[in-house]
Amino acid sequence: MVSQHGVQGVLGEDGIHVDMQHLKSGEVNLGTSIMAINFKDGVILGADSRTTTGAYIANRVTDKLTQVHDTIWCCRSGSAADTQAVADIVSYHLNMYGVVNNEAPSTQVAASLFQELCYENKDSLSAGIIIAGYDPRHGGQVYSIPLGGSLHKQSFAIGGSGSTYIYGYTDAHWKENMTEAEGIDFVRNSLQEAIKWDGSSGGVIRMVVLTKKGAVRHLYLPDTNYTGPGVTN
Amino acid sequence: MDHQARETVGYSFSESTASGVKQHGFYPYTDNGGSTLGITGSDFAILAGDTRSTSGYNINSRMVPKVFKIGGDDETGEGANIVLSVVGFAADGTALKERLDTVVRMYKYQHGKPMTVSACAQRLSTILYQKRFFPYYVHAILAGLDEEGKGALYSYDPVGSYEREQCRAAGAAASLIMPFLDNQVNFKNQYIPGSGEGHALAAKKAEPLPLETVKGLVRDAFTSAVERHIEVGDNLQMVIITKDGIQEVYHPLKKD
Amino acid sequence: MPGFDFSNYNRNAALHARGVPLPKATSTGTTIVGCIYDNGVVNCEKLHYIAPKIWCAGAGTAADTEFTTALISSNVELHSLSTGRDPRVITCMTMLKQHLFRYQGHIGAYLVVAGVDPTGVGLYTVHAHGSTDKLPYVTMGSGSLAAMSVFESMWQPDLNKEGAIALCAEAIKAGIFNDLGSGSNVDVCVIEKDKPTQLLRNYEKPNERGQKERNYRFPRGTTAWLNQKVISKEDMKKYVTIETLSGDDNLAAGEKMEVDV
Repeated sequence: MVSQHGVQGVLGEDGIHVDMQHLKSGEVNLGTSIMAINFKDGVILGADSRTTTGAYIANRVTDKLTQVHDTIWCCRSGSAADTQAVADIVSYHLNMYGVVNNEAPSTQVAASLFQELCYENKDSLSAGIIIAGYDPRHGGQVYSIPLGGSLHKQSFAIGGSGSTYIYGYTDAHWKENMTEAEGIDFVRNSLQEAIKWDGSSGGVIRMVVLTKKGAVRHLYLPDTNYTGPGVTN
Repeated sequence: MDHQARETVGYSFSESTASGVKQHGFYPYTDNGGSTLGITGSDFAILAGDTRSTSGYNINSRMVPKVFKIGGDDETGEGANIVLSVVGFAADGTALKERLDTVVRMYKYQHGKPMTVSACAQRLSTILYQKRFFPYYVHAILAGLDEEGKGALYSYDPVGSYEREQCRAAGAAASLIMPFLDNQVNFKNQYIPGSGEGHALAAKKAEPLPLETVKGLVRDAFTSAVERHIEVGDNLQMVIITKDGIQEVYHPLKKD
Repeated sequence: MPGFDFSNYNRNAALHARGVPLPKATSTGTTIVGCIYDNGVVNCEKLHYIAPKIWCAGAGTAADTEFTTALISSNVELHSLSTGRDPRVITCMTMLKQHLFRYQGHIGAYLVVAGVDPTGVGLYTVHAHGSTDKLPYVTMGSGSLAAMSVFESMWQPDLNKEGAIALCAEAIKAGIFNDLGSGSNVDVCVIEKDKPTQLLRNYEKPNERGQKERNYRFPRGTTAWLNQKVISKEDMKKYVTIETLSGDDNLAAGEKMEVDV
């Protein structure tokens, strides 16, 4: 019993869904829809805002887009506790890196740190993380770390339970080098679709646009069918 | 995985039963909480129960009576001389009360006289035992006046074993109320001061209590049970059977 | 050795495998809530002290909430002393979440952390597994659903102190009445900037005990006994020192005992 814990795979058969048996009873879960994309001037991260404990919505305005450095952010899915802990540790290391080297870390460095933690602790973590960042040398970059702790550089990434519903949609509508407005529409429409079909995703759509100008937050409310208010800072 | 290691340690840990096969079950019973209580006197019987219905930590309703008149008019229960209380699984309780009510009314229709409490008590036992292998999940108490006009009280287990008693508490708070009743109705553990030394000290003899005393005991039993049992509360339903008929009264209880 | 003692773990696991049930820790059937307003925060029920202006409401395993808050309270004070600054709510929340995450949910503390610090008002929930949420109004415990329904229907963004207290009390009462695990009275803690923290114990008492109708005093001699042994004060003095208190009965007991009349 005790020794068996964690030995069984944490991946669902489809490799996407978190094995619910693996989550300890009562654990707060981000049954989520998250994504990040590259566009002409940088990257856009997007997420729904639902956090659940079983069938109860513990937080309906969750912020799953977490800053780990000035222009390096991540989208969290899986166990809330695990992803918060991982993000906090990465955030600490990146900020140390920034101070020690007097230079901001690249997105790849951040992604590698995430991968290290997710891979080495794969037996005890339920975390599916997407990292997106902008650095002056490489421009915008998107990395995805699914449950096993592998690292994938992608032009865009989707994740969480809601993502299964939008593989077809995102594939059909994806274009390289979109404008910012096109990118925002793509993310918003994709997440709106994921929220519509996935019971464990919902609430508002949060977005972060990362360009050389820095980070800009967006908010889209269900009250207005996710049309606004848009930029919030 | 490490069976060998376990052998050498010398004790065993239970093997995990998680084999990936999901057990699907059908659960026909639920516990709806609540408590009931019956006490008899020389010329009366009282049956009482709280009116809370629960499932888990939730309250289904604050007003679901557990005490029913048996064999009376369909709507008002008028003309009844027998009272039944049921606590446990409420759906079975309702079904059982409907069954017994029909039986008692059919008896009166066929025989032209009301059923005696002792006959009804035996019949209820039969009804319960008929479902020996899929029982009515209830603790029933039947009350009325016997052929001599004395208070009569019968208590049952879920499969029909029954006994005539002076007093009985049933349901969620039975373990809280019953010792109180033993002490206050049958004077258990009470001795007559100064009646003797050591083993010669005389026990206080139980005798039928007056109606007002019993009413007070019932209300105190419930106001106290409410303090220490979460499934008991909201209202107290008291049904009093005397030669003049059946009187039903409600008292508020705490609602937390 | 600091920390927990696991020396009985193997023995207990073996016993458990042979069918001995695990001892059950007391769980607090609880409704705890918190709500921020213009320049303060209200926090209700089962309160634990962290710092003068940071308080914690706890649900879950009673012992875990008690010891976890006590430990973090101690560390927060040491931290405050070493930095020479007032402690911050987010510091306390971070210490709690890192402590609870380390124990992977085995420490069953579910907390609402509320307080005022130099950065403003703070209100967080911390779950046993170590996840946290930052919200303008929060609820936890078995009565959290009942309490949240009150917040979701009555909460407004521009609450004043009185409004926030009333709303929190209303949310707690929803828990008391509709959740069987919660009951009795409402405690409130109001933490305000530049004002001493107010702890209003039994702020509302909607569930006073019903008056007993009968008298349950037994006449002297009702209880049977088989033999008696009288130990005189002189005999006692051989083993202990005896000091006679003044005639005032209330002096010995801390609180006057409730006596039925």
